[in-house]
Amino acid sequence: MLLPFLVGTLLLVGLPAVMSAGLAFTSYDALSPPVYVGFANFRTLAADPLTGIALGNTLFFVLLAVPLRVLGALALALLLSQRRRGVGAYRAAVYLPTVIPDVAFALIWLWVFNPLYGPVNLVLQGLGLPMPGWLADAETAKYPFVVMSLFQIGEGFLVLLVGLRGIPHQTYEAATVDGGSRIQQFRWITLPLLAPWLLLLTFRDVVVAVQYTFTPSVLMTGGDPYYSTLFLPLLIFEEAFDRFRFGLGSALMLSLFLLTAVAFVVVYSVFRWRGYADDI
Amino acid sequence: MTSDRRPGLALGAVLHHLVSVAVAATFLLPLVWVVAASLRQPGLPPARTIEWIPDPVSIGNYAEMFRLLPFERYLLNSLIVVAIAVPLTLVTASMAGFAIAQLEAPLRRRLLVFAVALLMVPISALWLTRYLLFRQVGLVDDLGALIAPALMGSSPLFVLLFYWAFRRVPVEVYETARIEGAGALTVWQRVAMPLAIPTIVAVSILAFLLYWSDFISPTLYLKSPESYTLPVGVRQLQQLDRTNWPLLMAASVLLAAPTVLVFAVIQRQFLRRDGVLD
Repeated sequence: MLLPFLVGTLLLVGLPAVMSAGLAFTSYDALSPPVYVGFANFRTLAADPLTGIALGNTLFFVLLAVPLRVLGALALALLLSQRRRGVGAYRAAVYLPTVIPDVAFALIWLWVFNPLYGPVNLVLQGLGLPMPGWLADAETAKYPFVVMSLFQIGEGFLVLLVGLRGIPHQTYEAATVDGGSRIQQFRWITLPLLAPWLLLLTFRDVVVAVQYTFTPSVLMTGGDPYYSTLFLPLLIFEEAFDRFRFGLGSALMLSLFLLTAVAFVVVYSVFRWRGYADDI
Repeated sequence: MTSDRRPGLALGAVLHHLVSVAVAATFLLPLVWVVAASLRQPGLPPARTIEWIPDPVSIGNYAEMFRLLPFERYLLNSLIVVAIAVPLTLVTASMAGFAIAQLEAPLRRRLLVFAVALLMVPISALWLTRYLLFRQVGLVDDLGALIAPALMGSSPLFVLLFYWAFRRVPVEVYETARIEGAGALTVWQRVAMPLAIPTIVAVSILAFLLYWSDFISPTLYLKSPESYTLPVGVRQLQQLDRTNWPLLMAASVLLAAPTVLVFAVIQRQFLRRDGVLD
């Protein structure tokens, strides 16, 4: 019964991953057979300024968006974890933007942040504040990406609600009897018991965040202005599917793979240093 | 749940509701703006102040997009993909989840770790080689390329959700069926699945959202407009005229409406009592 899952995974994940690793060391355009070139692709990538720009943009987005997304999901889960009147409706409202398809969501925010007619700048104008060019200005173009990603945190929100529900409320009652304040309860009960969930969520969110930039960058900016929104998935797409440089594309993908692995090690060490890793 | 029945906390409760309402309003605001923008009469110059209800209200944009591009064809393709991929996902993911739940400890734990690790694989690192594989087996420009991930349960998350659901059932329930001579497939079909209805509903919804929204796979693997799905159609509309905002907003609403409707119907099970959280 495991067969479909295992065979499917082998064909759709395992095999492509191995092929990626192999093609990364070749020159290949799909017309003539691949030619082994050693590390030449990686040298080309290192020499190309666009690689550095895309890497920097991706890191900027991940470092800003992931902590905000995880903390936002945590704050909302804490706010809406208790069973009160109307809490179901509030939860539904928070989750709703997460179900909007990527393409529609990107167009929505392209409109919301439109420098001339978009609601954001109309509100700013009404308040007498300066109206930034947002996606049209290299200085500010990455911020709408971060903002829109903060509206799609339903997955993390739900995971943390489940995590919070797993904490028996006798624990809190005991703490209240002992005179523990709300903040102490959060610091010494909620946070340690939620730590494994937060770790898993942060891991997953690093991957999700890297991937997240693709559809908005295709629909909202195409990587412009001045490559300020050229993220790694868009660069991979352009190298492989626009320029048919499959070897180079594979080398980029392999680098992305390794980069994600490094991100995991960093996140894991931070949690380990805080002494939470044993709970996993 | 426990402490807020005490007197003197009424102010806290009011404050809590005020904050919650503000949060809910913030999350809904962009969606409200978009619906309003989509109802603006075609051809009018853009509004210079925020327009909550356009004057006059017009549904002309919704008809206009079907005139510009064969949206009925895209809609049909999207429905075909969803109609095949979602049931297939339910079968493969639940079978895998059931099998893992039945295994002995060391192998079970290894498979669980494997599934969690799969969640972390960046899909963009597989685009190109998946394309090459699909080309080999003639799936490029075929809706099959979009449905293929359903073979592996679509997402390891779905396998894990079914695993958790099946683990919650006491082992004796399966054992009894076994002793009565039922094979693994029969136990899965007759005993396990009927006990996992909430999970079946949840995975159906999540799989529907996944396939209905998918923009990347059709962009990578489809070439001819006859095989395009709805998200690619909306992207095409944007390429025709980047500045016709009311039209683009109407297309976005059309694309998002089924997901919002499905969510509205199901959110009670999903987020409230008796659902995933209780």
